[in-house]
Amino acid sequence: MSSVLRLAAASRWYGNVVAVNDVTFDVGAGITGLLGPNGAGKTTLLHMMAGFLRPSAGTVQLDETPTWRHPELYRRVGFVPEREAVYNFLTGTQFVTAAARLQNLDDPAGAADRAIGLVDLRDVAGRAVGGYSKGMRQRVKVAAALVHDPSVLILDEPFNGMDPRQRLHMMALLREMAGEGRTILFSSHILEEVERLSDRVLVVVAGRLAASGDFRRIRRLMTDRPHSFTLRSSDDRLLARELLATHEVDAVDLHDGILTVSTRDYGALTRNVGPAAQRAGVSLLELRPADESLESVFSYLVRR
Amino acid sequence: MTAALVSITLRALLNRRRTLLLALLGVLVIGIVGLYLLSDPTPEQALEVTRTLLSDLALGVLLPLVAVIVGTAAIGSELDDGTIVYLLARPVPRWRIVIVKLLVAWVVVTILVAPATLVAGLIGQDDPALAIAFALSAVIGALEYAAIFVALSLITSRALIIGLAYVVVWEGVVAGLFAGTRVISVRQHALAVVEAIGGGDAAGIAEVALEVAIAAVVIITVGATILAVRRLETVELRGETA
Repeated sequence: MSSVLRLAAASRWYGNVVAVNDVTFDVGAGITGLLGPNGAGKTTLLHMMAGFLRPSAGTVQLDETPTWRHPELYRRVGFVPEREAVYNFLTGTQFVTAAARLQNLDDPAGAADRAIGLVDLRDVAGRAVGGYSKGMRQRVKVAAALVHDPSVLILDEPFNGMDPRQRLHMMALLREMAGEGRTILFSSHILEEVERLSDRVLVVVAGRLAASGDFRRIRRLMTDRPHSFTLRSSDDRLLARELLATHEVDAVDLHDGILTVSTRDYGALTRNVGPAAQRAGVSLLELRPADESLESVFSYLVRR
Repeated sequence: MTAALVSITLRALLNRRRTLLLALLGVLVIGIVGLYLLSDPTPEQALEVTRTLLSDLALGVLLPLVAVIVGTAAIGSELDDGTIVYLLARPVPRWRIVIVKLLVAWVVVTILVAPATLVAGLIGQDDPALAIAFALSAVIGALEYAAIFVALSLITSRALIIGLAYVVVWEGVVAGLFAGTRVISVRQHALAVVEAIGGGDAAGIAEVALEVAIAAVVIITVGATILAVRRLETVELRGETA
């Protein structure tokens, strides 16, 4: 059942723009999360792995067969695209049954019903897909990708538009499928999704593989990095002096009326900034993380 | 597998409001012939004007207009909105997708054009053979046009505009001005069929010999289909964020 997706020195460029740059990794059984900020090249990577894009250099293979121009591989691969567009004029059942027919399954109606049940969409399966919410669309796309019981499942931002309950259900489903020995690869720009679901993570930044492996190790790298906060208070100068005296603060910067504090201990600072303000006798008006965007986390990883 | 492809393509095309509006164009051709009859023409006048209307309006405007819209949408609309991924992510031979889409587009164009052409021919003049010849020529022209426009939609994302320009410039102007270019004019191929099976009333309507027209229809249709299959085999899907 288990299959291996293998990228070897794979690159993809569009004219002068390099979308994926010399990436090498294997994806085997279990759940692998492909993490990266928007525009990092996740979709290009997934589309190369799913056989929709020709690598400009290097190779992309599924079990030793190149994915590009080998449509017979789709007997083993299920793909969920990021784009929302579906055949709006079909009902959920018709959409998934059509997928089963295109897979040439013996019992398309039975397979479609099973897949719709897996994604918990039976209640609305008779309605036209055009009237579905974003979350329902995501689920019907997943049902269509699962209809032929693939050994490899590639999902591009599968949790987009899903509410928390639907997310949990989808995560449980993917875990169950991974437990059966399937190779599951999904992309996300949300750290927590990847953290909760993946056995292994691939971090992509600006088309390059920035980190790969066990999530906890990467998470540690992320949490150990210096954090910056901006503060507003009734007297920034007094507060800056008080904070410098605490051991968790590495540096303070008071520039143009904005107080910025750097720390390596995110938790300690957030716990201690209040008492520090109290000791200095100033009112703390605002405490805001200055560099918490995912992009800053990723660029830190790249510098490492 | 094929039934699912036919069903999706047919429903996508018939779901489009513009396709249904195209049916009204056929009614318009019938209406124009009917309006002319109100002037109480002689049988000879009616024959002459109906011949001209069917040749210039039905085969010269209605057929290419319907074909360019339906033909470029058969695969092109799925390429535009990204739903083609649901066909390409399946173990379906790409030639089968192209052939099915082409045949469905052909049938839809035929349904939208041939019956209107037949009715306009039957009410406009007294010779049923001429009306049937025009309707059959529309069926053949529909196939050739559908193959051209399906292929065009796989070559460029601006297939509709380029297709319309081709219809107006090549079929409408160039083929009218330069006799040498008529060998590769779809309208002239259709008119060759009219002349071959339309009896005495169709004499002299075509400017291309039937054998040449048949050869051109086969070469263009097969060539465009092969080109479309090759393009679909190598079409790349970038996704929204690539």
